[in-house]
Amino acid sequence: MGRLITLTVNGIRRSVEVKDNELLLDVLRDKLKVKSVKAACWRGECGLCTVILNGKLVKSCLVLAVEVDGSEILTVEGLAKDGELAPIQKAFIQHGALQCGFCTPAFVLASHKLLEENPTPSEDEIKERLSGLICRCGTYYEIIEAIKDASKYYQLGRKPR
Amino acid sequence: MSFGAPYFTLPEFTYHKPKTLKEALELLDTYRDEAKVMAGGVGLVAFMKERLISPSHVIDIKEIPELKRVEYREGAGLKIGAAVTLSELENNEIIKKKYTALYQAIKKAADPIIRNRATLVGNICEALPWVDGPIPLIAYNAKVEVMSLNDVRLIPVSDFIKGPVEIDLAPNEIATFIHVPDPPPESKSTFLKFNTGSEFALATMAAHVVGSVKPKEVYLVYGAVSTKPVRASEAERIILTSENIKEAIVEAATKASQEIDVVSDVLASEDYRRHLIKVLTINALKSIFEVS
Repeated sequence: MGRLITLTVNGIRRSVEVKDNELLLDVLRDKLKVKSVKAACWRGECGLCTVILNGKLVKSCLVLAVEVDGSEILTVEGLAKDGELAPIQKAFIQHGALQCGFCTPAFVLASHKLLEENPTPSEDEIKERLSGLICRCGTYYEIIEAIKDASKYYQLGRKPR
Repeated sequence: MSFGAPYFTLPEFTYHKPKTLKEALELLDTYRDEAKVMAGGVGLVAFMKERLISPSHVIDIKEIPELKRVEYREGAGLKIGAAVTLSELENNEIIKKKYTALYQAIKKAADPIIRNRATLVGNICEALPWVDGPIPLIAYNAKVEVMSLNDVRLIPVSDFIKGPVEIDLAPNEIATFIHVPDPPPESKSTFLKFNTGSEFALATMAAHVVGSVKPKEVYLVYGAVSTKPVRASEAERIILTSENIKEAIVEAATKASQEIDVVSDVLASEDYRRHLIKVLTINALKSIFEVS
């Protein structure tokens, strides 16, 4: 027995039947097929299941699906506009800010959110704001460089190229 | 927070999302032991995954309007609702300006993404020995407001936390608010956390002094060193009666490191924790009294 919830995922309204004890992480991946949301530690430590829920970064392995009925969710799939990558995505590519890529969606989302709120973060602020995410390959240096680089586009009101 | 490999699923339960406090209290009064109250869910979901608790009913209080508010009144102090997240408190100008130790503890709690969901009331109800929230609250003499259908109780945070994962809360009660008294103008406070190389703090402390020239009130509270938050009352007395503050700081720090009941575990030995207590106390008091 489940209940029907309606979510707006990356701008598209979607209805899905969920059980009360289902995690948002599982519903996004298995039922809505949003595969950029990664399942890794399942206990809020690695942060790779991070999504933007009603404008706030949250770890979806610690959120019940039933709680978010009526909410808006943004994942990395929703960052590109008209087929063009967001400046932070381009910067990640330019700086090679990934190796295996498993953590990349979460880091891109958190970096995007950080730059939206503060387009000129200091290196300490970047480190603090990303401290809830773990990259097992250790590409932190390149990630920080990518954020600093993308910073200028967010200062210009997100007008890349 | 974890005690071992978690299950990937949650136990089965029925989810309730009451819109008013009264409705929440009625639900809890009906289900009592079979129910758990959820605010941010950070601790609860993790505990359920590890099957440390398996409630049949989960009552989500996140959308109850009065629990989402932070109020400040001069003289009366802060009133923080159970659904207020740590991120919201971190961005509260009054807390930043007047409650230094609380602000610093929140900034150092978990990580910024977790803080978007975690609540201060939840932090206290979790009552794990290493959580940061209760330490500054005890240093400010904060109280927890606890409600049931026909009763309201105000309990000092220091009494509310009885031991590891043990709190003074009946099965039909909800911890609804935290009341933090207004610190007098001459009050100074700080929070220090030692967790280098570990997710868990090995020792934390909050120091709160009213009157840094001639101390009138002193609170030295320690976390992560014992089974629950502890005060060093003899060390506090040394500061209160001191003639020479520079000497008193070292004397108080030494006393604090001796008088507290300290645990030994896989993260740190008892001796190491006593050393940390001494170092944190010296650093905290030096910054409060502005001596080098």
